[in-house]
Amino acid sequence: MTALMQAPTATGVAASTGEQEFITFYLGDLLLGIDIHQVQEINRNVDMTPVPHAPQAVRGVINLRGEVVLVVDLREVLGLPKSALTRSNRNVIVKNGGEQIGLLVDRVADVVRANTDDLDPMPENLRGIDQRFFKAVYKLELGLLVILDVNVTLASICNES
Amino acid sequence: MFQDESIIQDFVTESNEHLAHVESQLLEIEAGGANSNIETVNALFRAVHSIKGAAGFLGFDTVNKLAHSLENVMDLVRNRALVPTAETVDLLLRSCDQLKSLINDLANSNSADVSALVSALDGVANMNSSHAPEPFDPNTFAKPTPTPPVEAVEVVAPPLAPAPTPIIEHVETPVSATANNSAPATAASSEATPAADANIRVSVGLLDRLMNLAGELVLSRNQLLQAVNSLGRPEVETISSRLDQVTSELQEAVMQTRMQPLANVFSRFPRLVRDLSAKLGKQCDLNISGKDVEVDKSIIEAIGDPLVHLVRNSLDHGVELPDVRSRKGKKPIGAIALEASHQAGRVLIVVRDDGAGIDPARLRSKAVSKGILTAEQASALSDEDAVNLIFHPGFSTAETITDVSGRGVGMDVVKSNITKLGGTVEVVSELGRGTTILVKLPLTLAIIPSLIVHSGNAPFAISQASIVELVRVSANEADKRISTINGSEVLKLRGRLLPLVRLGKILATAEQSRARAEQDDLKTPRNLDIIVVDAGAVRYGLIVDGLQDSEEIVVKPLGRHLKGSICLAGATILGDGRVAFILDANGIAAYAELQRSDSQAEQEEDALGSGAEETQAALMLTNGPEEYFAIPMAVIKRLERVQKEQVHEVGGQRLLEYEKETLTLLSLDDLIRAEPRPDQAWLYVVVFEAGGREIGLIVPKLVEIRQLSTNVDFRTLREPGVIGSLVVDRRTVRLLDVHELASKGCPQLTVPAEAEGLEDVRELRIMLVEDSNFFRTQVSHFLETLGHDVVAFEDGQAAWEALQDPKRQVDLVVTDIEMPRMNGFELCRRIKTDARFDGLPVIALTSLAGEDDVAHGREVGIDDYQVKMDRDKLLTAVRRLLPNRRGELLSV
Repeated sequence: MTALMQAPTATGVAASTGEQEFITFYLGDLLLGIDIHQVQEINRNVDMTPVPHAPQAVRGVINLRGEVVLVVDLREVLGLPKSALTRSNRNVIVKNGGEQIGLLVDRVADVVRANTDDLDPMPENLRGIDQRFFKAVYKLELGLLVILDVNVTLASICNES
Repeated sequence: MFQDESIIQDFVTESNEHLAHVESQLLEIEAGGANSNIETVNALFRAVHSIKGAAGFLGFDTVNKLAHSLENVMDLVRNRALVPTAETVDLLLRSCDQLKSLINDLANSNSADVSALVSALDGVANMNSSHAPEPFDPNTFAKPTPTPPVEAVEVVAPPLAPAPTPIIEHVETPVSATANNSAPATAASSEATPAADANIRVSVGLLDRLMNLAGELVLSRNQLLQAVNSLGRPEVETISSRLDQVTSELQEAVMQTRMQPLANVFSRFPRLVRDLSAKLGKQCDLNISGKDVEVDKSIIEAIGDPLVHLVRNSLDHGVELPDVRSRKGKKPIGAIALEASHQAGRVLIVVRDDGAGIDPARLRSKAVSKGILTAEQASALSDEDAVNLIFHPGFSTAETITDVSGRGVGMDVVKSNITKLGGTVEVVSELGRGTTILVKLPLTLAIIPSLIVHSGNAPFAISQASIVELVRVSANEADKRISTINGSEVLKLRGRLLPLVRLGKILATAEQSRARAEQDDLKTPRNLDIIVVDAGAVRYGLIVDGLQDSEEIVVKPLGRHLKGSICLAGATILGDGRVAFILDANGIAAYAELQRSDSQAEQEEDALGSGAEETQAALMLTNGPEEYFAIPMAVIKRLERVQKEQVHEVGGQRLLEYEKETLTLLSLDDLIRAEPRPDQAWLYVVVFEAGGREIGLIVPKLVEIRQLSTNVDFRTLREPGVIGSLVVDRRTVRLLDVHELASKGCPQLTVPAEAEGLEDVRELRIMLVEDSNFFRTQVSHFLETLGHDVVAFEDGQAAWEALQDPKRQVDLVVTDIEMPRMNGFELCRRIKTDARFDGLPVIALTSLAGEDDVAHGREVGIDDYQVKMDRDKLLTAVRRLLPNRRGELLSV
């Protein structure tokens, strides 16, 4: 239950105007990012209790310091093939709708600082992934960072159940 | 319009505070008439005035307008220019209601139509005022004082005395005009109260977080204690035990912050009773006590509606019209009491009326006509049970449907709501004298006692409140007791068929259940643990893979993503840190599509009819873990579950203390050859009656209730307190004699009652006719110990033949009904129609006295009916009938 990183939650820590910071992580080869302000913490607590009758995308719940927190399998939501848990899996805990929810990711990467002007709209041809979950893309030296829309992603699970 | 959300929010909070006590204040003003307390009137005036001002400032014109007209009327009352009549108070109450609903829906408030109320109010104002009312001026406003957000509970800063002291002074607004301490009523005004300094507002979210953290601290403490114990270092142990204590107290203190007085719920009832009595043309006083009793916020929120329903029912169906009451010689004004008190770690709320009471006969016939019970079942019900039929679904006894109650949703909804809260509800009624409804609730919903069970490897929690009993069906019995009807499994339990639900099947995904089904087939049959669950409308057995301990669990809500999982009521974190889901008994019934018809209608099987051998229902229990005992159900009055701490030792006796009395407790290992019982936090107490007193037997574990053969070995294990033994599921079970246990354990209580009157009846001869060896031995043994001379016969024919011998002197016949060759009815008919036996009394013994039997018995002249194992009553009957032997003819 080591918190690898305790994200700043207060406003005003952000960089200068026009800049945004993203927590980035991988699902397979896909590099995704979430606005740092939406992330509460990242941990390796993946000791999940499965939930009977839960929507497909719900991987289970964890005990996060006395709170029961739902963990969502991002692969499942985005329609990527399932994968077994490894040592590099992390739970990205986000605050959403007054609840804490864990997003299960393959592994976490750096914090990326981007100028808002450099964020591009989604290209039409992104390898067959459901586009409604993405807000924008950002070109890095080594490839593309896709910015995830957390609200839409989590709302899609509600609808399923 | 003003757009700042937080200021509007403050306005709502503050206005609701102002209006919180308006009902009791108005009722007090009404009761006071011309002499009403000026302070109360002032407080109300200021409250309305503040709302008017702030609403005008914020641009809520409709609120402003209504408050203005209300203020004008209040001003007249304040200046003693108007003494409010009941109609005026009605109007004021309605206006305040409207004001409240406008304030709680501000966004739409300006489009609401309040003109009718405004003109009615202005009418009252104009009629009573010599000068014109103060013209409406939207610019008059008072500045709203900013207060923190709405969702908050009040907390006392110097906290946490467990005594039920009121948390906030001003909820204690007196409702009765006779109360002279009306000063706190002013608290609702904008003036600060003296108590205000001691209170702060804390958001519920923060309290919940504190609860979680306290829970987590308890968990860490447990782990630390374990680690420290293994170290064996005394200096560390001192520190850790201090930590232990502080942690426990902290958790308790945090729990305490969520407690609120029941006054918050009770305060709405004076108005309710007032309005409803007027509507029904009845007169009724409401007496409230125990407003200070504190329960968790969640209970406060949930108990309101069920209580409203109960009080309405009492007023509508219970309390009679004034002239009816006068005719019956009662006071024309009825009385309803609403009382709350603490009882053994729970809260007892009593709703009592002095009305007409409930007629058990009417309920029986109603149950039969509605097809809920068969005529036989109905007549077999005791009056107490019959009265409790009102909780049966679809049972409304109102002769005419009023808009007050009797809309088809009724007491069953009340019951299931209370059950959901982990509470119980019972009704006691005396025809013509009134009805009392007892609602028992836990102090909190946040922590519930529960049983941890397993499905596969995963732990699940079930609230103890929904568990009726635990039944274990052994592998070799499973075939006999479990059968399949229309593809669903049912368990034969005490002559009834109980639908079964396999937890594993319910919870598993499709692929898991397929794998599981195969596994189940392959596995050799094993013992089944079945939890009999009461889900309000249905009762069913839940088959689980394993039972673990009982645990007090802290309930955590499931997030919005899991709202669809109807089988789960929440989650909790177990002592080892694992997450366990809490099962929802009602949800599982719905998911498994169990219906009443499945569980009841067709499946009433008469176990007594099908088997030739006579059986009796007995409670099986253990004392030492592997020592089995049984007690005949007929002698058991009730079962209780108590905490170890509730049992006190006083003067060498164990006592269970109730509010007003104590119950003497017996423990098997003190009285008979038994292993010591294990030390447990929770114990069961089997309560029975001996010598006219209640006595309890401490039982560590209840196994099940089942029909036992009466084929009892009276020799091998016989000792005082043990009738004999029999073999059940290859285990030796000792059948207990509770009366012998009682006279051994507390002779001072039981002997006098039994000895008394012995002189008169000594040396009288009793003929006992009974075909069951077990009962024959039991009853004759019992009668002999009382000094009677008993001759026993196996059936009516044998007894009748013996009676032909003129030398045989018999003073009393005690006979079974069902017997081969000649039954008890026939035997009695012959005795009663033969002049030789004139005046010979006959007592019939039955397993269950049905009304048909009683009627038939009366025709043939049976003098009294007694239930077989109820020896105190049999003794009374014997005593009552014997002295008459040579006196006049007997009458029933």
